Amino acid sequence: MGLSGLTAVLEISFTIVCVLGIVFVIGIARSTRGDGPTLATDQAALGEREKTWFAVVVVLLVSVLVATIFFTPYGRSAGSDAQVVEVQGLQFAWIVPNTPIKAGRQVEFVITSKDVNHSFAVYNSAGTMLFQTQVMPGYTTKYVYTFHKPGTYHVLCLEYCGVGHANMQADLKVEA
Amino acid sequence: MSHNHRAPVIEPLGPGADLDRSRSLALRYLIASTVILGASGLLGLVLRDSQAGVDRVHDGWWYAIMTAHGLGAFVGWAAFALMGLSFWVLAQVGFPLRRAGAFLAQLTWWLMVVGVAGVVVTCLVFEFGGSWVFLYPITLHGAGVWGKWTAFFFSGSVLLVGLAIITWCLSILDTVTGPALGAVKKGIFNRLGVAMGFGYVAPKRFATESKSVPYSVIPLTVIAIDMIIATLPLAVLLVEMMVQALTPSVHVDPLLAKNILWFFGHPVVYLLLFPSVALYYLLVPRYAGRPLVAGNIIAVAWAIAVTANVLVWAHHIYIDYPSGSPQAALNVTMEPLTFSVTIVSALSLYSLFFTIFRSRFQWNAASTAIFLGLASWMIAGFSGLINATIAFDQIIHNTLWIVGHFHQMAFLGIGFTVIGATYAFLPQFVDKPLYSESMARWHVWITFIFTMYNSSIWMYQGLLGGPRRFAILPHRYDSMNQLAVPVSLIIGLAQILFAWNIIQTMRGKGVGRTEGAGIGSTRAIIVGSLVLTLASVGGWAAYRAQASTTSSTATPATTTTSGESPEFTAGKQAFASAGCAGCHTLKAAGAAGAVGPNFDVTAPDEAKVIDRVANGRNAMPPYKGKLTTEQIKDIAVFISQSEEGSG
Repeated sequence: MGLSGLTAVLEISFTIVCVLGIVFVIGIARSTRGDGPTLATDQAALGEREKTWFAVVVVLLVSVLVATIFFTPYGRSAGSDAQVVEVQGLQFAWIVPNTPIKAGRQVEFVITSKDVNHSFAVYNSAGTMLFQTQVMPGYTTKYVYTFHKPGTYHVLCLEYCGVGHANMQADLKVEA
Repeated sequence: MSHNHRAPVIEPLGPGADLDRSRSLALRYLIASTVILGASGLLGLVLRDSQAGVDRVHDGWWYAIMTAHGLGAFVGWAAFALMGLSFWVLAQVGFPLRRAGAFLAQLTWWLMVVGVAGVVVTCLVFEFGGSWVFLYPITLHGAGVWGKWTAFFFSGSVLLVGLAIITWCLSILDTVTGPALGAVKKGIFNRLGVAMGFGYVAPKRFATESKSVPYSVIPLTVIAIDMIIATLPLAVLLVEMMVQALTPSVHVDPLLAKNILWFFGHPVVYLLLFPSVALYYLLVPRYAGRPLVAGNIIAVAWAIAVTANVLVWAHHIYIDYPSGSPQAALNVTMEPLTFSVTIVSALSLYSLFFTIFRSRFQWNAASTAIFLGLASWMIAGFSGLINATIAFDQIIHNTLWIVGHFHQMAFLGIGFTVIGATYAFLPQFVDKPLYSESMARWHVWITFIFTMYNSSIWMYQGLLGGPRRFAILPHRYDSMNQLAVPVSLIIGLAQILFAWNIIQTMRGKGVGRTEGAGIGSTRAIIVGSLVLTLASVGGWAAYRAQASTTSSTATPATTTTSGESPEFTAGKQAFASAGCAGCHTLKAAGAAGAVGPNFDVTAPDEAKVIDRVANGRNAMPPYKGKLTTEQIKDIAVFISQSEEGSG
């Protein structure tokens, strides 16, 4: 599943959960409006039920964990025919090679930083983020990605790096 | 509506209990932090308006204001206010400050005030813009905007705030382990265990003389222990940064520094949340007129929290995994641990909501703030769980989604306990009635509705990939930025109601009416909020309509490029691809960077450009080796021939 698929999952599940939450909160608020006696006897039972709720929460959390843990950006390695693209981030520019990238072939970005923390974030021409990865001085970060469509892709910096942070942009040319 | 027939849930303290110390300290904290709220809120308004193109602030100042706003609102307001309110919460449940605790509390106040003042001065006078997380080594790379002494004094000021946190923790621990605890075994570890609520699970091992420890004591003990552990390494890093500012040969591994920062940066969020929980545990039962619904399981959740809190920091750096480092493995390990720390929120929300459920909850401004705070805590918890999941974090990390999430959490989920507690406690602190209940209700509702609205805009922009911490956002976010202008303005105006209510209450202008009627009725407030919402959306729509007509009729400025030399054309391309526009202004290149010299003004000749590009100077990096000699020459031709006025 690509990031756009994950985004869709995120948007839909977040909306549903928020709506359920709001309905629950309104229900609690309305339950205080009645004029009858309060359910004082509920006290102990509700306290006991908290154990059940504990179990429910644990099950829910484990489910989310199991369902998502395989979609991390870690541990991807490039094939032998991957194009290696060296990128350097510095205050306040991305130094990317002028040679165009070939579409449909794996790219191994080898990214370093000259000075402070940066984040290499690539967007398509529609403004959708395709991926991002952090870069820090003294370390090399590798990210493997395949551009399927030729065109111009846009790089932003997504880790605050100083006064020129918003200007730290570059273009990546991808050819057929 | 009177509820006098019901026995008070929190027993009043016996005569002779020394509440005055706790009361006067809590009031002092509250006043100082509310002043900081006003100042940092105003800065926030400036930031949002500037992003939307209203009164645009120069980039350097925008980031300096951002830094002051973040530290000011988070630490100077929320944390500071909650530190003070915690003394009063403890006093209310039978744990007034003792002599040592009171001394430490006074010391904390001064350290905090001086530290926050230092942050404000280094940011707003000396233009320090390293952001509130001052991610190492940015403090030491001011790019010509700030220098070593600013870095030195900024780090020193944050260090004072760090020391304030530690002295506060000690004052809390002194208070909760005192005789009020009634621990049977007097060893310090046993007393700490009792104060953390272990007696609910192991009543014999952690026995108390008469009654169990009050629930509000538990989260305060937990955070006091954790913040000492979390702050000490950061304090060492801050000292290192002060030394490095003056002695550049000293340095730290950036990945280690990042881990140290977040080892502090995660628990410091709970320095806000856990005292808020203590307030919720105190006030919700009071307004519901019945004890907190809580099974013993809640003590288990807090035992998980005290441990997991200091073992989950890596969820802030999920997308850091440089080659050859164990960071990816650490990140994966900390995802389930992060999940486990949410259990305490899930159980607390259960306890608090079901304490309110079918009670005769007393609805007033204070209790409404508390209730809406709970609702916000739950909603922000959902987005927090998304942030805690690596798969989702890679989408929303460092986007405006995060900004939306934490404004919802910090300003509503946490801030509303401060605001609710202010309305509930201020009359007790000054022994005068609240000035206006209606005004307070309006303040609470408007702030809630418009902060939710404001946060939703950010979260939506973040899902569209909108980056956070951009003085100027890419144009595709313009429309949403403009929508946020009236929204943030209304939030700001609502805080004037808060300030006025506090001032008038302290001046003794209140009449002591408790019910909201007429203009303060819920119906009036809902209608009023709807009108405000429609007005803000309508104003935005009208503005957009007008803006689109203007832009479609305006002739776009185009530059004719006929008759260019090949060097000029090649230079123009190289200027763009090398990222010169990131820092420099040159109209002919459409460049508006504000870090380095503006070429339209300084108009350097060819030789000078060749030298500077090749060899660099100050913040300007050398490009020899990155660009060919030919490219550098082309850039020089392009710049020298296209400066404003050079024809």
